[in-house]
Amino acid sequence: MSALLVGALGVAALLVVMFLRVPIGVALAAVGVCGYAAIDDWRRALIMIGSVPFELASAYGLSLVPLFILMGAIASRAGMSRELFDAANGIFSGFRGALTNATIGASAAFGAICGSSIATAATFSKVAIPEMRRHGYDAGLAAGSVAAAGCLGILIPPSVILAIYSIVAEESLPKLFAAALIPGFLLAALYVLIVVAIARLRPQWTPYVAPMTLAERLRSAVGLWKLALLFFLAVVGIYLGWFSPTEAAAVAAFAAAVIGFGSRKLTVRGFLDALLDTVYATAMLFFIIIGAFIFSRFIVLTQLPNELVRWVHAMGFSPLMIVLAVIVLFFLLGTFLEEVSTILITVPVILPLMVSLGYDAVWFGIFVTIMATIGLISPPVGLTVFVIQAQNPDIPVQAIYRGTVPFLVADFALVALLIAFPAMALWLPAVLRL
Amino acid sequence: MQLAARIFGYLAAVFLAGMMLLTVADVVLRSFFSYPIRGMLELIELGLACTIFLALPAVFLRDEHIVVDVIDHLTRPSVVRVLDLFGAIVSLVVLAVMAWQMLPLARAMHEFGDVTPDLSIPKIYYWIPVLGGVIASALTTLVFIVRWRKGRA
Repeated sequence: MSALLVGALGVAALLVVMFLRVPIGVALAAVGVCGYAAIDDWRRALIMIGSVPFELASAYGLSLVPLFILMGAIASRAGMSRELFDAANGIFSGFRGALTNATIGASAAFGAICGSSIATAATFSKVAIPEMRRHGYDAGLAAGSVAAAGCLGILIPPSVILAIYSIVAEESLPKLFAAALIPGFLLAALYVLIVVAIARLRPQWTPYVAPMTLAERLRSAVGLWKLALLFFLAVVGIYLGWFSPTEAAAVAAFAAAVIGFGSRKLTVRGFLDALLDTVYATAMLFFIIIGAFIFSRFIVLTQLPNELVRWVHAMGFSPLMIVLAVIVLFFLLGTFLEEVSTILITVPVILPLMVSLGYDAVWFGIFVTIMATIGLISPPVGLTVFVIQAQNPDIPVQAIYRGTVPFLVADFALVALLIAFPAMALWLPAVLRL
Repeated sequence: MQLAARIFGYLAAVFLAGMMLLTVADVVLRSFFSYPIRGMLELIELGLACTIFLALPAVFLRDEHIVVDVIDHLTRPSVVRVLDLFGAIVSLVVLAVMAWQMLPLARAMHEFGDVTPDLSIPKIYYWIPVLGGVIASALTTLVFIVRWRKGRA
């Protein structure tokens, strides 16, 4: 059996095993080691499964992952989501659809710090959806905006998903953060425009809410400094040359704890819970990373990525066609896999192809991040949508999907812009000379 | 078992907090006193190994792994329960093979007396949490499988 065929069978086997509810990390490791043995031999395959966990456990580059997650966990436990929502409300208050736009602004900012779209959506479905419904907003729009905005935040740095991409793709993290900045803020702006358009077209979905007074606005805006400080430490600090990315994550997590304790919003119990949440989330994530590394050793052995490159060039497909094919692939994967697994599994196979077609690896990182988040809110199985539905059982899933559709339009508009103007992602890193 | 996993989890949390505080201390000492902590890299790597692998058994115990649950919507709960057992058995095999293959590597490193360049930390210290975590996770999965049978009876 040719190595290539084993590779194709391996990918198929992985999908089957995952569908049978085997934990993703375990499935990747099991298929990876069996495939490796089928091509090479068992002895070397077994040595690999014994050595990969240790190599990853003590890789300094990965240490920023738990620290970024910790920063988000502390910020959550310190109740920063509520304050952000109030502050964003102070900005948009008075416009039609203000509460929805406040949700988008606050989720984008909170998601940036928190790093997980599902966690952000879960947080804001408790904070923002009841508030919107209380004021008579359409339930589908309320839930859809929370789902979409939760995904928006993971694109905006500091982003855990970009940190993981930087490890798999061996790209510089500061470069990726800089590249994500413009597309991230542009997407947020597009979402706000979408809400303004909805408020115009379907005024009954976003009833008029009396604007806040200036004093109220100023009072709520005060809450913003906390998040601004965290963003400054975790992102700007890297570019000022103050910290390495790992140090930035540690300092920002520490600052979040100090702010939380200082403002009496964080209890010792809450801090402990944040630590525990983080170690469990990290262990789970690392087990997937370990599985993905084992699987990618197997994939490299199959020559599948090289064959794919050769085949695509021989068939004479245009780069645009390949990009469209990749979009379809991510759309399909995103319907059942969360974003980190999607990226870990696909990047080793697809990145060589994209680079051979002349795409930049940093650009591709931004591209896959957006694509992975689209899958989370698109039918038939958007994971984020299910999380929100679980917390608001009276909103039907169909209504939530209907609510996400306008935001999906914005997502695809951004993807189109990114393909047409790669400079959108690559200009800032170049200017910063990263 | 639950208690053991929880203790492991708390230990992992302590190492995580340690990593954070140590890094902050290093930044402060370096920026304001030009006195960086020696061997930071090695300490952080040790902290990372402890954080991840000590928390791993609890992830298996609490069944917090990310699984693709599309099939839940397609079949009966009893089928899902059987699949859970299947998932646990595959997990046990993978973890057991992992631990079995790690032992000789760890032993070789121990006998060779490898140490880190800056602080001369014996490399075996890095192996202890990794091995311990994987073995404990395998045991946790075994307990899950044994309990699964009782649950049906």
